[in-house]
Amino acid sequence: MSSPKPWFSLKPWRTVWRITKLNFRSQLEYRSEFLMMIAIGAIWQVSVIVFATVLLTRFAGMGGWESADVLLIAAIRMLAHGLFVLFLGRVHGLSRHIQEGVIDTYLVRPMPVYRQLQLQYFPTNAIGDLTVAAGLMVGALTRSELDWTAGRITYLIICVLGGMLLEAALFTVVACAALRFPAADYWSRWLEELLGTFGSYPLNVLPKAVGGFLTFALPLAFVAYFPAAVLTGHGHDTGVPYWLAAASPLLGAVAYLGTRLLWRWSLRHYTGVNG
Amino acid sequence: MPSALRAWRAARVTPLGELHTPPRMTAALVRLAVQVVLVASLWRGLYAATGTTAGLDREQAVTYAVLAVLATRVRELDQYSGRDTVLQHMHFGTIVYWYLRPLPPQRYYALRALGEQIYGFAWAIVGYAVCVAAGVVQQPKSAAVAGVFMVSLLLGQWVLYYIMLAIDQLCFFTLRNGAAMLILIFAQNLLSGVYAPLWFFPDWFITLSGFLPFQATLSVPLSLYVGRIELSDAGAQLAIQAAWVVVLALLTRLVWRRAARRVISQGG
Repeated sequence: MSSPKPWFSLKPWRTVWRITKLNFRSQLEYRSEFLMMIAIGAIWQVSVIVFATVLLTRFAGMGGWESADVLLIAAIRMLAHGLFVLFLGRVHGLSRHIQEGVIDTYLVRPMPVYRQLQLQYFPTNAIGDLTVAAGLMVGALTRSELDWTAGRITYLIICVLGGMLLEAALFTVVACAALRFPAADYWSRWLEELLGTFGSYPLNVLPKAVGGFLTFALPLAFVAYFPAAVLTGHGHDTGVPYWLAAASPLLGAVAYLGTRLLWRWSLRHYTGVNG
Repeated sequence: MPSALRAWRAARVTPLGELHTPPRMTAALVRLAVQVVLVASLWRGLYAATGTTAGLDREQAVTYAVLAVLATRVRELDQYSGRDTVLQHMHFGTIVYWYLRPLPPQRYYALRALGEQIYGFAWAIVGYAVCVAAGVVQQPKSAAVAGVFMVSLLLGQWVLYYIMLAIDQLCFFTLRNGAAMLILIFAQNLLSGVYAPLWFFPDWFITLSGFLPFQATLSVPLSLYVGRIELSDAGAQLAIQAAWVVVLALLTRLVWRRAARRVISQGG
C-alpha cells in the first residue's frame, strides 16, 4: 500500500533551485553579455529616474504631489517591476516559444508548463533593475518627510509584492491570449511601454477619462499610484473610494490567482501549430 | 528579372506581411491612438501650472511630444514575427541565404528598410492629419518652416536607417548581442528626444548629445517644426544631419565588407 502524498513537499522547490543555479551559470558563459544585461536593466530604470527628475525640476510638482511623493510612486513601481522580472517575467516571451514550437515540448515534461516557462533562463537584467530600484527606494524614503512606522513599512512591502503580482497578472493575461493568437506579443510590448511610461506618475495629472482608463480598463493605477497615495496622504484624492485604493495589494494577489486559473483553462485549449 | 521589379519585391516584403495580418494592424491603430491621447494629456497636465519652460510653451511641447509618438511608427514594423531580423538569421544560421541570392545583402536590407519606412510614414501622415484636425498638433508657422522640416525629417530618417543598420551589423561580430542592441535602441530613444524633448534636459546632456548622431534623427526636425530652432539656424542643423549621413554611410559600408568575411555556410 502506497503512503499518502504529503500536502507540501520541498522536492519541486529543490528542482527549481537547481535549475535556477544552472541557468545562472549558463548566463555566465558569455561574460560581456552577462555584464551588459545587468547594465541594460540598470540603464532602462535610470531612464525613468532621468525623466522624472527632468519633469520635477522643470515643472512645479505634479498634480499637487511633492517631488519626494512622486519618487515614491516611481520607486514602488520600479521595485515591483524588478521583482516581477526576477521571479515571473519569462511569461513575457511566451509567443516566441509558441512560434518556435518549444511549448509543445513543455507539455510532455513532468513539470507544470508555467513553471517550465519561468525556468527557461536566468533574467540577468533583473539584477540591474533591482539595484537601481533599491537605490531609488532608499532615495525616496530618505527624502520623504513621513514617519516610517513599522505599520507603514509593512504596508509598503505588501504593496511592492502586490504590484509585482498585478504586473504578473497583466502579462499572464496576454500570455493566455498568445496561446491562441501568437501575435498577441505585440500587446505585451505595448503593455510594458504603458507601465513604464505612465506607471510612475500621479495619474490625477491626466484628464479624468484617461485616468479612468488606466484604473478600470487597464488597472495600472493599482500597481504603484494608489498604494503611494494611501501612504502619503493623497488616498482621498484619487477618484476611487479610499478602501479600494488601500486594497491595491489584495487586488494584485486576487488578479494573479485569477489569471493562473485562466492560464490553466487556456492551456487546455492550446492546439499548437500542427493542430 | 529587371532590377526595378526586384527592388519593388524586396521593398514590399514587410508591409505585405503587415497588410496580411489585420489583427496586428488593428492593434497598431489602437496603440497609436491611445499613446497620442495619453502623451498629449500628460504634457497638458504638466503645463497646467507652468507657462514657458526650456523655451517651449504648452502647445509647442504637446506638438513635439505627439509628433515624436507618430515618428516612432515610421520604423516600428514587427520584423521579429516574420523571422527576418539579422539577429534571428544569425541565431538560426539562415543569414547565409542573404549571400546566396542574386541580390546583394546590403541592397536587400536597404530596400526592405525603404519599404518599411514608406509604410510607416503612411501611418504617421494619417495620424498627423487626424491630430491637426483635432487640434492636438499645431501646424507649422510658415511654408518655409514646413519645407525645412520636410528636408530635415528626410535626413533624420536617413540617419536613423544607418543607426538601425549599425545595430543590426553588430550581430555579425558577437555571438550574443541582445543587450548591446537594447542599449543602443535605448540610447536612440533617449538621445533623440523620444522620451522627452532634449531641451528639458541639463546643459551637459544637451552638449553631450550634440556630439552623437541620435539627436539628428528626431530632435532636430521636430525642434524646427515647433519653432524651438529658428529658421536662421536651420542651415547649420541640416548640414550636421547631412554630415552624419555621410559618416554613417561610409562606416556601415565598411562594416558590410567585414561582415561578409565572417559569414560561413553550413558545412564550411
